[in-house]
Amino acid sequence: MGNRRYLNFQGYSFMMPALLAILFFTIVPVVYAFFMMFYKVDILSGARTFIGLDNFRKIFEDPKFWASFTNTFRYVLVVVPIQTVIAMALAALLNSKINFSRGFLTIMFIPTLTSSSAMTLIFMWLFNNNGLMANMMEQLFGMKVEFLTNPSLALTVIMAMNIFSTVPHFMVVFLSGLQDIPDSLYEAASLDGANSFKKFLHVTVPQLMPITFYVITMGLVGCFQIFDQAFILSGGTGGPQNSTLTFSLYIYQLAFTSNDMGRATALAFVLGTIIFAVTYIVNKLLKADEVNG
Amino acid sequence: MKKIAAFALATSLLLGVTACSSGESTKTTAKDDTITLAVWGSSPAETKGLETTVKSFEKSTGKNVKIEVIQDNFQDALTARFAAKNAPDVFYMESFAAPKFIKSGVLADISDDVKNQDDFYQPVLNSFKDDEGKLFAVPKDYSTLALYVNTDLLEKAGYTMADVPSDWDGLLNFSKTLQGKLAKDQAAMVFDTSMARHMSSLIASGLNPVTAEGKADFTSSPKALDYLQSLIDGHKEGYLKNAKIDLGVDWAGAAFGTNKAVMMIEGNWVLSALKTDYPTVKYEALEAPTVNGNKETMTFTVGYAISKDSKHKKTAVEFINYMTGDGQKQWSELSGTFPTRQSVADAMKLDEDKVLKAHIEGAKYGTVWSSGVNLPVISGAFDNQFLAALNGDKSVKDAMKAAEKEANDEIARQQ
Repeated sequence: MGNRRYLNFQGYSFMMPALLAILFFTIVPVVYAFFMMFYKVDILSGARTFIGLDNFRKIFEDPKFWASFTNTFRYVLVVVPIQTVIAMALAALLNSKINFSRGFLTIMFIPTLTSSSAMTLIFMWLFNNNGLMANMMEQLFGMKVEFLTNPSLALTVIMAMNIFSTVPHFMVVFLSGLQDIPDSLYEAASLDGANSFKKFLHVTVPQLMPITFYVITMGLVGCFQIFDQAFILSGGTGGPQNSTLTFSLYIYQLAFTSNDMGRATALAFVLGTIIFAVTYIVNKLLKADEVNG
Repeated sequence: MKKIAAFALATSLLLGVTACSSGESTKTTAKDDTITLAVWGSSPAETKGLETTVKSFEKSTGKNVKIEVIQDNFQDALTARFAAKNAPDVFYMESFAAPKFIKSGVLADISDDVKNQDDFYQPVLNSFKDDEGKLFAVPKDYSTLALYVNTDLLEKAGYTMADVPSDWDGLLNFSKTLQGKLAKDQAAMVFDTSMARHMSSLIASGLNPVTAEGKADFTSSPKALDYLQSLIDGHKEGYLKNAKIDLGVDWAGAAFGTNKAVMMIEGNWVLSALKTDYPTVKYEALEAPTVNGNKETMTFTVGYAISKDSKHKKTAVEFINYMTGDGQKQWSELSGTFPTRQSVADAMKLDEDKVLKAHIEGAKYGTVWSSGVNLPVISGAFDNQFLAALNGDKSVKDAMKAAEKEANDEIARQQ
């Protein structure tokens, strides 16, 4: 027994630096945010008055909240499925015996390595009203498309950008999962007369389920927290017409532009609840716990 | 033995963490004659001007100034510093953001500390006062908007400077004709979509977007709506272009410098870029156009403010008095900014320079970009909704109605 206590102590002492970092930089701020969301807080002076649930009333009355709500959900619903499917398909392609697959992998991984701010600037340069894409559209189809100033397209540009930059990362994750699938399964499927598409659908996809669950969860969390691309593209405003205003961007605006830390933490709590709920539902739907692997 | 060594290592790591955090507290015991100054990154000329003037201050007083450059999102970074109770002693303060900081009570009252206040341009100085007339920052320099004309492009199109009208409507008609003689990727005039550039024109059209109660008002004057409509019409027909949206360059100065725009209404901050980055462009400057017969321009000003909790207030006061007093001439000459003291402006004979004169004249009637604590909310709503009008999604009237509602609802939520 004493030996075990000693081992425990030893284990915790090894973990101590990480535990302390988590305590001070994650747990304390989270607890503090729980406390702040019931107050009206002036971030500059730190002065606060208790207002109960008023911050939540203000949030739910605010059209900007609903705009960010719609934008973020639209963003998640489009980006997560597309990036997962593309990543899986690309991984399957790279896993087959094509030539130079290492070379392709390296090239395809570059977007993930590029910093998101640099990527945003490149996309802004491509998609501005006098940029490559706009001019190409005009020459090919004769129509003038304003990507960045048109509220219904600005978010689409960010979606495309995010898919472009996260697919390679998830592709590598899938690739490692693919290499764990035993060849015997494919052999058995071949003997049963399955073609390669059927093999993909009935062997690869089910076998990859635990990986898929990981990819979808990380995709969901990342997408719900989308901030930097929207911030840079709109110059911090979330415009045009709130079309690129996301949850995180609005939290930032509330805290630093509106000087209202209480409302910002309340919104952060709402966002946390949403992410938790959605992840829970996805977990149930995919039955991640029951899949073998 | 190994285990003990590992434990010792873990403990020392732990101590290392605590040692780092205790390092902060040594700051408070620093010598009283060192102050920190937070500034944003700006042009090489301004950086050099600041460093040199600060050195002169250090030489004449024997005190030290530590310059901290905050490259991006200065206001946000400053806000975070205040929230962390780690504010710099002295920092740049934009007149636009000043009311928010004054209202929060984090700036030191320097009403009685600033020398010879009558010498300052009063509208600029007043933008740093609260309702009771107490002073919380002292203006270091200011900028005004003027109309810049690329004379090479103008002459190529067959016009001279004498053809450029001095009123807004005339200028629009002129741009329209001029656009016909330009290439597709060139603009007769580049324009900005933010309220910061148009508030004086709105006031000249009989609309103050910020009411006496600090609420938003964008709809009470039909003339102001006409003015905004003229921007939208110009954009639609292509003789007004936005540097970022339509020309794909970062800002108007770059469009002007690369011969993509014949005219722009910009502040004197473009001068250093035109001098260093685009030295071949020939240009002249005129006063900003009159709107509805009224002279108008926007005045932007930045001041030095002192944090209320500063432990070195005496040195800080000495510093800002030097920077806006004895040192102002040196600062203005090196940085190319305009001095906020009339005596310094007179000594520098700025109005003898043709380009600068257009800006200096503007200071006499310019609208200072500052109007109470709600201006950021109000201008944010305007910027957001005006783009909708510019896209053609909404009529100007609907967009301005929506902006008004958006701003006033948010103001009510912030009470």
